[in-house]
Amino acid sequence: MEQALEAEDLGKRYGRAWALRDCSFELPAGRVAALVGPNGAGKSTLLHLAVGLLKPDTGRVRVFGREPHGAPATLGEIGFVAQDTPLYRDFTARELISLGGRLNRRWDAALARDRLSALGIPPDRPVGKLSGGQRAQVALALALAKRPRLLLLDEPVAALDPLARREFMQALMGAVAESETTVLFSSHLLSELERTCDHLIVLQTAHVQLSGSVDELLDGHRLLVGPRDAAPPDGVEKVVRAAHTERQSTLLVRSRALPAPAPGWTEREVSLEDLVLAYLADTETRDVETAWEVTA
Amino acid sequence: MIWLTWRQHRKEMIYTLLALAALAAIMVPTGLAMHGRYEDTGLKACLDGLGTASLLQQAPGVTECQELAHAFQEKYSDLAFVAVLFVILPVFVGVFYGAPLVARELEQGTHRFVWTQGVSRTRWALTKFGLIGGFTLLVAVVYALGVSWWFTPLVAAIGSRMEYLAFDVQGVVPIAYTLFAVALGVFAGVYWRKVLPAMGVALAGFAVVRGTVELLARPRYLPPKELTYALGEMDMAPNPASGNWSQAHGIRDGAGNLVMADARIGPCPETDSFCAREIQKFGSGAHNWELYQPGDRFWLFQGIETGIFLALTALLLALALRRLRTLA
Repeated sequence: MEQALEAEDLGKRYGRAWALRDCSFELPAGRVAALVGPNGAGKSTLLHLAVGLLKPDTGRVRVFGREPHGAPATLGEIGFVAQDTPLYRDFTARELISLGGRLNRRWDAALARDRLSALGIPPDRPVGKLSGGQRAQVALALALAKRPRLLLLDEPVAALDPLARREFMQALMGAVAESETTVLFSSHLLSELERTCDHLIVLQTAHVQLSGSVDELLDGHRLLVGPRDAAPPDGVEKVVRAAHTERQSTLLVRSRALPAPAPGWTEREVSLEDLVLAYLADTETRDVETAWEVTA
Repeated sequence: MIWLTWRQHRKEMIYTLLALAALAAIMVPTGLAMHGRYEDTGLKACLDGLGTASLLQQAPGVTECQELAHAFQEKYSDLAFVAVLFVILPVFVGVFYGAPLVARELEQGTHRFVWTQGVSRTRWALTKFGLIGGFTLLVAVVYALGVSWWFTPLVAAIGSRMEYLAFDVQGVVPIAYTLFAVALGVFAGVYWRKVLPAMGVALAGFAVVRGTVELLARPRYLPPKELTYALGEMDMAPNPASGNWSQAHGIRDGAGNLVMADARIGPCPETDSFCAREIQKFGSGAHNWELYQPGDRFWLFQGIETGIFLALTALLLALALRRLRTLA
């Protein structure tokens, strides 16, 4: 399978603090992937490395097998919508489309024009005077006009109101369905993930906690409810997160389907949201414990 | 890229050209009047007649020249203050063009848009620097030529074009100052990443560098020359049209010791016995002494100073470019 994006021991440092460290994952072509993690986890850094804005300090990142930093030819394959969808605010949408044509070898101006006209976005008003949702749509249309093989979006809907957010995601999903573009978008919102993406990368405190296709991830995890403080049943690879009430323990475990129902335990499927929260909470607790010098 | 640069900066460019035209509308008539008067009163012919030798046989013609020059100065003394404005203008052009060039992109995040299109960051930067630098160069050349022409009569009447202020607004140095100011603005914008702080840093940096070079380096580009001439004598006194830039002067005794700093005793009127007696108090062999940079070093000094500022410009742009590659 062709990899649209792959990272290998990727690291980036600002001064002495690592924004991203020991980061390895693969994103196969054709997937729609979400990059999830709290603010400051390194999502923007990872996307900036992927689009060649930053140069890695360690390891490497490849887009369709080529390193993107300082390679305008590779940049032609990548559409990028940066956080807060920055555009020249005194340019009109028409001027921005014309600008894209001047800056890119491959440029589908008609595609951008058709999209914006379908959305009812005025062509001759400075984009600074458009609503946030409209501006995000302009940014998306410009990214799509490159006919990219990989589309990266950094928190595309974070600043939008719920309606504009839904419209944007619809526009994105519609565009992706028509082409064979691979998509990676970062988000710190968990709702709607299940509907939109089929691949997941979870970042927390500069490290990749989890990466893989949604189906495999859901398949490989189970929620077990059993008596408090009982040892986890056989076949469990790892307990990701344990929550206890007075009498019961709820464990989110990594495991293939258990060979047989373990006595005393009930098994349930996990939702994507449970899974992400479990992995995020897991590292959070561990880090706090380390910081307070408490052994778990 | 060319279209983008024009589209982004066309307003500033048009305003600059308008400002230049407004300036010309004031300077051309006053300049023509000044040049006319300079020639009509005979001041030009008079000063030309004195030549550029450091010392000159004092004659009634010299005094007449000085009187004409004095009258000319009186008439246009107010305009001399305009020189201060001319010193300041380049730095404003530089700061308003240079500082926002990259800093506005970084401030508004648009660098993430433009640097992820199919044009390399280096090409983006070089095109912008090149076009804005070229435009500034053009404006600065017109400006420097105009101001030089405007100022020539006033500077000739006042003294030397090597002096502070006169040197700074004439010849080719204003061009180098302007380019340096732009480069400093770009550099500050890349490092401080915000328009207003970058402007502040560029202004302060410009003042410091210009002041340092002007006050500490310029008088030392070449070792100054020494001039000695007799006290109170009619023959061989300093030529007011020599164009020399005096660094220090005083009276030295026969052994060469400086006995009175910042003093000079010119020709004594023949009838004035007091003057002659005063001179005798300094003892035999006492003489006027002057340390000066000769007026004919004007273009050499202009060249050296231009070289310094162009080198600084290149250095700042190279540093900005290197830093630019690491930003995201």
